[in-house]
Amino acid sequence: MTLLDRYEEVVGAQEIQRLRRMAEVLADKRIIHVNSTRNGGGVAEILRWMIPLLGELGIDARWEVVTGPPDYYRVTKTFHNGLQGQEVSLKQSDFDLHSEVNRENARRLNLEAEIVIVHDPQPLYLPQFTPEGKVKQWIWRCHIDCSRPQRSVWKYVEQGLAKYQATIFSMPAFTHPLQLPMYIIPPSIDPLSDKNRPLTETERLEVLHRFAIDPERPLLVQISRFDRFKDPLGVLEAYRLLKPYHPQVQLALAGGPADDDPEGSEVLREVQERAGDDPDVKILLLPPDSHCEINALQRSAIIVLQKSLREGFGLTVTEALWKGKPVIGGACGGIALQVHDYHTGFLAHSPAGAAYRIRYLLRYADKCHRMGANGREFVLEHFLLTRHLRDYFAMILCLDQPGSCLFVPFDKE
Amino acid sequence: MTNTGKTFILYDCSLSRRAIGRVSSNLREMLDALRSVNDAVLEHHLMRCALEDYFELYEFPNDLARWCWEGLGDQVLGEQLGLIDPYRYRSLAELRTDLINLVEDRLWGLNRVPWCRPGRELHWVESTLIAYDTGERFTTTAELAQAVGRMSLRSLFFHIHEARRRLEGATDDFSAWLEGIDAPNALIARLRAVDFYFLNLNQLRQELLQIFQDYSPTTLMKTAR
Repeated sequence: MTLLDRYEEVVGAQEIQRLRRMAEVLADKRIIHVNSTRNGGGVAEILRWMIPLLGELGIDARWEVVTGPPDYYRVTKTFHNGLQGQEVSLKQSDFDLHSEVNRENARRLNLEAEIVIVHDPQPLYLPQFTPEGKVKQWIWRCHIDCSRPQRSVWKYVEQGLAKYQATIFSMPAFTHPLQLPMYIIPPSIDPLSDKNRPLTETERLEVLHRFAIDPERPLLVQISRFDRFKDPLGVLEAYRLLKPYHPQVQLALAGGPADDDPEGSEVLREVQERAGDDPDVKILLLPPDSHCEINALQRSAIIVLQKSLREGFGLTVTEALWKGKPVIGGACGGIALQVHDYHTGFLAHSPAGAAYRIRYLLRYADKCHRMGANGREFVLEHFLLTRHLRDYFAMILCLDQPGSCLFVPFDKE
Repeated sequence: MTNTGKTFILYDCSLSRRAIGRVSSNLREMLDALRSVNDAVLEHHLMRCALEDYFELYEFPNDLARWCWEGLGDQVLGEQLGLIDPYRYRSLAELRTDLINLVEDRLWGLNRVPWCRPGRELHWVESTLIAYDTGERFTTTAELAQAVGRMSLRSLFFHIHEARRRLEGATDDFSAWLEGIDAPNALIARLRAVDFYFLNLNQLRQELLQIFQDYSPTTLMKTAR
């Protein structure tokens, strides 16, 4: 059974047939994706399914990863924070290091292709150091919520875009005027990955047992890296506000380290300190390959939280909705695109707001259930990988033939 | 592309959206944008936005009405914009003129300019619609009726909404084709009368299915008895 056959069981034969149809038109393109890690974070997860799937659709696609010294990741994490609006301090030597690592990677990597899609700021400067003619079209794919970036970092990004032909953002709100087309493509999840596939009851209970979580009591879950923008401390506060009304509630804050995030351990320590010795709070630092564990936690939750203060898109929200769970999310970034009040969950603007909405959903089980069912339908239609690929294909067609309407004839007759 | 032969060609479509880097945070900025953005932007926010509707989440059928209602809190203008049916205009220029008049008129009567909170701004977007022949063909009314139940919502959009633009408001692809194969006039008239702009794509599918059901040979036979 091919990958496409397996996806067909989830999204239907028609969707796969349409993808094949669009892919036929792009069969002569070689596409390379470049990012900065094979482990951890949403980008690596997307590329892990996208590359083999493109291959099955007859498109020559590869995945390359830039590497650098630890200091490079410190700098790129600072870029990331700065693009998300946090005050950052960068020295000229930091910019120089970023540029130099890009130069070395451009020399090392084989980037000969019609289209190279560069993900996020880490490899942004590759085109500057790649010989002319090797790549026909460079596209920068930004996964970050850049709605209010620090000016110095955004300016550095703008300079880096000089040799690109287009950019992609997850939402219009993340864009700023550029001299390049700014395509809007929200990311997506893979319904067959270990993180999203259906689990047996035995698998689910085994994970809960391992983490000493009581399967008989309601569980709230937030899955995210230990990052200040994910507001794990706000989640703890919401839990504390709720606990007097629902003493049986448990909370799991689970996240894994990402290779390119040196701040994680510091935030984790703060969260552990704040959680104290409450036996109903589980702080779980999971290895990057803990997909089944995350899957089990999300499926065991009565409500999933994603109380971020800034968020690129929030694939953990998509995952939770796909599993039929209502989500209470921070009113930011892509969360607002997925969480619609009274339909798929609630947007919360403070820890008190999150606590209030949890109380509401715990009180009205029928609404909780209905919102979960809505969420799954919503993801099926809009946030599975098939829609994501379709958007990519549409963008590539537009790159060569801009205009308001484009017709692709059927050439097999 | 028209569907007027003896065989119906089923198309599907995808929308490629591009932010134009323009943002409105109050009604005056929206008016300025309405005066100057290109036609593709208007077309996206007034018509193609139907492709992005989820369930029955939205009360109004276009982005501008929604933004005035939810973002600016201007319910009056939201209602007025919700009533504008862009498919009744022969050109986007005429549509633009009416939109500008409506918003100007509203601004004229207000003491202060309505504005939105940070994070609720209107981000202007343009789009390219990529329509591709699916390879599926129908030659009878029954085949088309059966396909309506299973075709993608995007196909429905292309053959109903987009067709009205392509054919300058006269008809949709389904009824145009049915006319060419001598289908019952009453069926064609009912299809053409569907107030599609008011419906989201799921609701539209249900309405079309009902119409085809009413005109299926078995239903007609039962009615005759």
